[in-house]
Amino acid sequence: MVSWFLATPGRIYVLATLLPLAAFVLLFLGGLVRTTTRRYRRDSKTASYFYYMFGGDRPIRAGAYLVTFAIGTAAVLALIGLVQFLRDANVPDHTAAMLDERWAERTIWAQIGPIDPDSPAVRPAVKLEIGYRIDHLTAVLFAMVTIISTGIFFFSIGYMRDEAGGSVTDHEVMAPGHHDHGAEHHQGVHGHLVRRGRYGRFFLYLALFCFSMLNLLIADNLFQIFISWELVGVCSFFLIGFYYERASASTAANKAFIVNRIGDAGFVIGLAIIWTYFGTFNFQEIQAKLRCTPNDSDGTASPVDMVDTMVRGNRVPESPNKVMLTPKGKDILLFPAHWHAGWLNKGEVMARVPVERDSDFTTIPYLLLIVAGLGIFLGCVGKSAQFPLHTWLPDAMEGPTPVSALIHAATMVAAGVYLVGRAYPLFTPEVLLVIAYTGAFTLLLAATIALVQTDIKRVLAYSTVSQLGYMMLALGVGGWTPGLLHLITHAFFKALLFLAAGAVIFGLHHQQDLRKMGGLRAKMPITAYTMLIGVLAIVGTPFFSGWYSKDQIIGQALGFGLANPAHFALAIAPILAAALTGFYMFRLWLLAFTGPPRDAHTYEHAHESPWIMTVPLIVLAVFSVGIGWGPEFWKPDGSLVGQTLHKAEPASVELTFAKATHAAHENHLLAGGLAFGAALLGAGLAVWIYGLRKFDPETLRSRLAPVHTFLLMKWYFDELYDALFVVPTVKLAYFLGRFDKRTALPEDAEAADRRIDPSSIDGLLSALGLLMLAIGIRLRAVQSGLLRRYILVLVLTTVVMFVILTLLGSESERRMRG
Amino acid sequence: MTELTLTHFLILGAFLFTCGVLCIATKRNAIGILMGVELVLNAANVNFVALARFSPTFQLEGQIFALMVIVLAAGEAAVALAIILNFYNNHSTVDVDKAEDLKG
Repeated sequence: MVSWFLATPGRIYVLATLLPLAAFVLLFLGGLVRTTTRRYRRDSKTASYFYYMFGGDRPIRAGAYLVTFAIGTAAVLALIGLVQFLRDANVPDHTAAMLDERWAERTIWAQIGPIDPDSPAVRPAVKLEIGYRIDHLTAVLFAMVTIISTGIFFFSIGYMRDEAGGSVTDHEVMAPGHHDHGAEHHQGVHGHLVRRGRYGRFFLYLALFCFSMLNLLIADNLFQIFISWELVGVCSFFLIGFYYERASASTAANKAFIVNRIGDAGFVIGLAIIWTYFGTFNFQEIQAKLRCTPNDSDGTASPVDMVDTMVRGNRVPESPNKVMLTPKGKDILLFPAHWHAGWLNKGEVMARVPVERDSDFTTIPYLLLIVAGLGIFLGCVGKSAQFPLHTWLPDAMEGPTPVSALIHAATMVAAGVYLVGRAYPLFTPEVLLVIAYTGAFTLLLAATIALVQTDIKRVLAYSTVSQLGYMMLALGVGGWTPGLLHLITHAFFKALLFLAAGAVIFGLHHQQDLRKMGGLRAKMPITAYTMLIGVLAIVGTPFFSGWYSKDQIIGQALGFGLANPAHFALAIAPILAAALTGFYMFRLWLLAFTGPPRDAHTYEHAHESPWIMTVPLIVLAVFSVGIGWGPEFWKPDGSLVGQTLHKAEPASVELTFAKATHAAHENHLLAGGLAFGAALLGAGLAVWIYGLRKFDPETLRSRLAPVHTFLLMKWYFDELYDALFVVPTVKLAYFLGRFDKRTALPEDAEAADRRIDPSSIDGLLSALGLLMLAIGIRLRAVQSGLLRRYILVLVLTTVVMFVILTLLGSESERRMRG
Repeated sequence: MTELTLTHFLILGAFLFTCGVLCIATKRNAIGILMGVELVLNAANVNFVALARFSPTFQLEGQIFALMVIVLAAGEAAVALAIILNFYNNHSTVDVDKAEDLKG
């Protein structure tokens, strides 16, 4: 088996992906054994042996160490793989095909029908493939995810130590049967819930999450991504609802999963359209079919003006299979596996839907491609918490802070952005515009809400939504590399910010309210200064990692705005948001760490976190600063990671956004200045109000009270969705239930179940059941148990049969005789 | 008075059979049911012997069968009595109407 992993260089990534899965399986089996033996631990020696071997009444800590070791090894492998891949890719002789041989593989997972290599049938047997393909984007992201995960796992070992005890008291849940006696009792547990610790389960879910996220990153086809997509959603559900006895946590978990699912519905629609017209889910194949490749299947160069573009045309009504190629045609031409460049030069091609031969073109209606693109984007909207499916992310802060750091800051929410980047060739310019506007709106929406939040994690959650809006905006205006670079830098500094917030919460004994903090710099210096580094990075301070990506995004957005003046709002939005970001991030830091302590009791008991929690903070802080650097680090586009990502950029980006990129290059100093100025303005305002305390925010709050409430209530989105969707659905459900039972009031429903009332649907079905029951009861009387009656029946039956046989026999005898 | 023919014996057998069946069907005592069973078996025996007497090809076989039936009746009576004894041990009665544990 070891030789399998060493056969091609790309399989190191497979190994790195499977390591967390192996850890998950081991932990799961261990937990399973422990649960099944728990019942019998007093009765059987073997059962109790196994029970205590896997931890007994307290969760076993070895599971956490195993998982951390697995992900650490995966990180090491990822780095080795990254170095090897970059070395391989930098050799100028190595073509893309050669790279694919070593770094990509796929196998058929399930198929219907045989695949006959000799038959001319073009539609392949229906097959689902599983495979991986490493390119620059994947390699860099893989390393990023594994490194951040390792840091967060180490952090969690310290943070979750409360769960490692045999009994944990949850101060937010009342035990069943108790009611709160108020503040008079100060001893004992006030009737709070006491439960067993769930340390192992935390790492179990985290391991599964890591596996699914890594699988998402290396996947080479949309179906595998979809599977991982759902799986990370499931893990997110488990982890948000980790403290499931709390109603807020379990509701938040439901909300996250359901909102995600709405996005996934769009994803499935996109998948369906792609499957129908392309016949494949593989990214490379889709791109080859959709956009004209530089060379045709024989190697001849394609017409220059068509390379990497979508070739559009209109069907000729008289001859059904002919397509006239025109620039604004209603259909898009899909290229077959074997085609010749000469066919395109004639201006019309033969295209059949569905294909019959390997060399048949086919078409997809342009509108349907837009729908497919929007569908896939809807999935990304759900996963990356963009407007309108953004409501789940702030509620997801109910989960433990390491979960928020890993899943809802660095990785899972990044999956949406990653998919947009991966499926970029699929998106038509209209879809890209929608992406840009969605990103821009989300950007501003979340930034304004973050201005007034008082929970430290909520501020960071809205900040995450806002930064994801940045990434979507960047991708929409043609900044492929800056958008994905921002993904990477954001992952590092957001994870740092969340972990630092977790350290603060841990040090204050689970106090999250900013209004009760203040002056913590003295008590927890490492946390304070690493968090400051994170804040500086997110704001876009020059030479911190955030600057390299944000600067480029604003530049590209400005260029796009200048090239398309109708969409100039897209250029203003990120600059405005930069100012807002500066303001609320500095507000966060200043409120928490400077100034007089606002709550004496909290300040007294505050303490620095143990080293196992502060070391990851320091490591992430180093990355937050250094990840953006490159050999010419004074230049905004000098980031080494950025240059690496640029190599993976699809060729269509440059083509579609040539004007915008050109304008961006021309005005990059202006953009940089505006970005810096905006951030300085926002940060300066925050320092003035909260740092130097020259202006009391209370006066502003009271004067702009309606605005403040509007922002505090998250623009009333939750209430809007409640009124638009939740309440009508519940009312409809109740109505249908009552319709079923034909009752006027809901209270009669139960009584109706017991009557036989064939006039209602429910009653009719119940009547059928009760009829069967009644027949059964009557039939039971036959089996009376009385021996003599059985004998009587036996004898009578025999007599009757005898008589019948005699009569029949005499009939046939008479007929035989004549 | 005419001679005794096969029919007379067959009627005798039938009559004995009917008596036996009636005895089984109406007796409440388990031993009484066994007596009815004996009557039925003996009716069959009479049939066998009569047919052995009056048909030339069946002479030996009929008598052999009659002997076998007697043996089987004995064995079956033994087993039946064992069952009734067991039943008596459990229920302290041999009234078959009390044997309704298998009621549905």
